[in-house]
Amino acid sequence: MIKKRWRFAVALAAAASLLATGCSGSASESEGPVTLTYWDFLDPSQDNPRAKALKENLANFEAANPDIKVELAVVSLGDMLNRLPQAAAAGQAPDVFKMFTPQVPQMAAAGAYSPLPAAASEITDWLRPIDTLAGPDGQVAVPYEYRTCAFYYNEKVLKQLGVEVPKTYDEVVTVAGKAAKAGVTGFGTGFSDADNSAIIATFFDCFMSQVDQPIWNAEGKADFATEKGIEFGNFLADLRDAGALASSVTSDTYGTVADGLANGTVAMTVLGTERIVTMASQNPDVKWTSLPTASTGDDTGATIGWTLGIGADSEHADAAWKFIEYMTGPKAAAVMATGGEVPTRAATYDEAFFSTPEAKTVNKIAEYVKSNSEPHTYADDWIAVATGLSQAGQDLYLNKKSGSDFITSAQDAANK
Amino acid sequence: MSIASSPRTQAPEAPPTSKVEVIRRRREDRRVWLYVLPVSAVFLFVFIGPLFYTAWTALHETKYYQIGEFSGLNSFVELLSDPNLPNSIRTTLVFSLGALIIALPAGLLSAIVLNSLHRFKRSVRSLFLLTWLMSQATVGTIWLWFLNPNFGPATAITTSLGFGPTDVFSSPTTALLAVTLITAWWSYPQAMLLFLGALQTIPEELRESLKVDGGGLWHDFVNITLPFLRNTIVSVVVVLLMLYVQMVTIILVTTRGGPLRATETLSMRVFNQTFNDFNLSGASATAILLFTLNLVLTLAVIRFRRKESL
Repeated sequence: MIKKRWRFAVALAAAASLLATGCSGSASESEGPVTLTYWDFLDPSQDNPRAKALKENLANFEAANPDIKVELAVVSLGDMLNRLPQAAAAGQAPDVFKMFTPQVPQMAAAGAYSPLPAAASEITDWLRPIDTLAGPDGQVAVPYEYRTCAFYYNEKVLKQLGVEVPKTYDEVVTVAGKAAKAGVTGFGTGFSDADNSAIIATFFDCFMSQVDQPIWNAEGKADFATEKGIEFGNFLADLRDAGALASSVTSDTYGTVADGLANGTVAMTVLGTERIVTMASQNPDVKWTSLPTASTGDDTGATIGWTLGIGADSEHADAAWKFIEYMTGPKAAAVMATGGEVPTRAATYDEAFFSTPEAKTVNKIAEYVKSNSEPHTYADDWIAVATGLSQAGQDLYLNKKSGSDFITSAQDAANK
Repeated sequence: MSIASSPRTQAPEAPPTSKVEVIRRRREDRRVWLYVLPVSAVFLFVFIGPLFYTAWTALHETKYYQIGEFSGLNSFVELLSDPNLPNSIRTTLVFSLGALIIALPAGLLSAIVLNSLHRFKRSVRSLFLLTWLMSQATVGTIWLWFLNPNFGPATAITTSLGFGPTDVFSSPTTALLAVTLITAWWSYPQAMLLFLGALQTIPEELRESLKVDGGGLWHDFVNITLPFLRNTIVSVVVVLLMLYVQMVTIILVTTRGGPLRATETLSMRVFNQTFNDFNLSGASATAILLFTLNLVLTLAVIRFRRKESL
């Protein structure tokens, strides 16, 4: 009986102490060090240049700001697009998160962002205008790295075929057909929406910029099923008819096409410039150049890339902006450039690294992004556009739909 | 000579006659509610509450995760007039019934094999249970890698045999077949465990009598095993059907409902509407339809069993 009373007393004391801890918790959080939650798709524990650069930058930031700790959560882009609106609705958005340029307005419309503080307007040396990174309440993100589309080709395969590097999309179809007959995938692309339709959506974005076709009209409705837009659909249909698409194109993703290019089973493709450094190390036969031209004769694609923004209802907005300012600033951007990412501020290029031979490639890419791309605004339905493109692509391949049907179907899906 | 009465001939308990006994009976009845209340509270919290909230959401406009004005049955009208809905229902039925047709006999056969083993029973049982121990995400990822047309082991095998690469997820028909088979492969151990428990309740004397009468394996199965397993079969069908109708993860990891919505079950449709289209109201309407379908299938199976037992 005494033992039972003793156990009961201990249990009661434990419960009381837990209760006391819970009640006193909120008071202690308002003082002392700040912990920022940061969502990024890069895993710093991985052995690749970009991950290593991120790890170094996080460590340097914390060393320079001992009162701010950064708690990184590795979240894929697909998960981020699903989880951010939910987290924001539940008041649990991260303090800082990375987001891809076309999806910024949609995430802003979903309430995932806090507006940037006034201090953000003091930075004026962005290499590209940043007013496209806005939501209903104003500027919500700043660019973290720039990229655009480039045309990749396997030089060895083209030499074996006895052809020159194609300069127009019509030439791409011809060369791709020959490559397919030789046993490789003539042109790599993918219609899977497993990775948020990354490859087809990015290619579409750049192609529309090339032919100077706005994706949305003034009312924010998708409006690209025009003569210029149909050129994109016709290019895909021509590739299909030439047998130049992979048999797995309906389930291929950005990653599988990049892998195919790296292992020599894909002759040509359009990918982002972020792959240039890794491709060079994976397969020296893979080269890159500017985009083939379409009817307009232009090779200017869209300026895209990753951005950083402050999460909705962040309790540490000042610390979050300090972190963003550091990560986009010259020191961190120079470290990031060693991983092949293109910095976004003019001041960064004054850093010593950019005068070294190691910076040759990233300088070349930065110059290419500057001369061969332009940013544009996005409406808040990019996910619907991307998914529509995937499904229209699957229909084009499996049901032999025309290029015109492809582009119309994608537009209708976006406006549904 | 014993004159004690057998328990089987004991008279039923007489109704309480005195007022004290009536009060005692009422007190006992009230105490029963004390035990029922916690379970009822949990049931209300995890089932009834969410069900009503889902229905309520379906009756309102939504923007991302914000619930707006009352819109009546608009979401249900949109749902029922969606030309893709019949496809989703058909895919759900094909997927669920297809996986059931494979998992049920596979589970029964495994259970019979396990039950008849005398040596290495635990090791063999662990081997059979291996697939069930993996999460659905792991299973989907493993098969996605195995069936990869560029570098998967299946492609290596089929290419070496002269059949070319395996490309099951690129075609609507083979994609649906693949996710159905993968699901059946993952889930058959659940049927096996339920059947194994039931098989162990079959009296051994019945089998011995059949042997004496000259009956073989087939007679044993038809005349002894099956009759004893009738109720278990109904339970397994109900459990597996409910699992398959609600399942999302394997499809999400492998095909996400594609290509061309060929593997978009109603559950997958709810996921896509919620997290890709951000259409919470539409997703809620679909979820209500899914619940109704699940209920109808379950009641149909139970009713079929009741008719059999009459």
